[in-house]
Amino acid sequence: MIGISVDADTTLASWAREDHFPMLFASDVDGKVGSLYDNYDAARKLDARTLFVVDRGGKIAYVARPFRVTVQAAYTDLAAVIDNLEPLPADTVR
Amino acid sequence: MNGMLKAVVSAGFLAAPLMVLAQVPAPVPPAAPAFGTHGPVVGDVAPDFTLPGATRYGLLKAPVHLADYRGQTVVLAFFVQARTKG
Repeated sequence: MIGISVDADTTLASWAREDHFPMLFASDVDGKVGSLYDNYDAARKLDARTLFVVDRGGKIAYVARPFRVTVQAAYTDLAAVIDNLEPLPADTVR
Repeated sequence: MNGMLKAVVSAGFLAAPLMVLAQVPAPVPPAAPAFGTHGPVVGDVAPDFTLPGATRYGLLKAPVHLADYRGQTVVLAFFVQARTKG
């Protein structure tokens, strides 16, 4: 998972350290990548909370726009997508 | 009230709402969203990018390049701002 926002990389690093986030962050201070994904609100100079899943071939496999952090279904849907993209080996015992 | 007068009054009564309608400005269509309508969709190649990276251990020496993750499933989680509920 790559968390992307307009925050400076130093801000992201200190936030991740303080809150023990295990994920990777990317700093998009000018919103260029957010704009590539049509996710950057130029008026507010902020990104929206949106989630893209990119498959092994580099294609978009799922989009949650917006990603509703307070809705349980948002997580179960995401998990189902990832399970489908990353199937466990056939001999795996769950 | 004679017939002619009735007809005039009725016509005026009927016309009144039309006159009111004519004075009401046409509804303004909602402005198109400034973003979020033309982004990549399922099946599109994810736009590649290279950005400065960070983890809880500090800044990354090498930038984050999406293409480097080819062969892996990657979740791109855009969020509003650090230290906010976004």
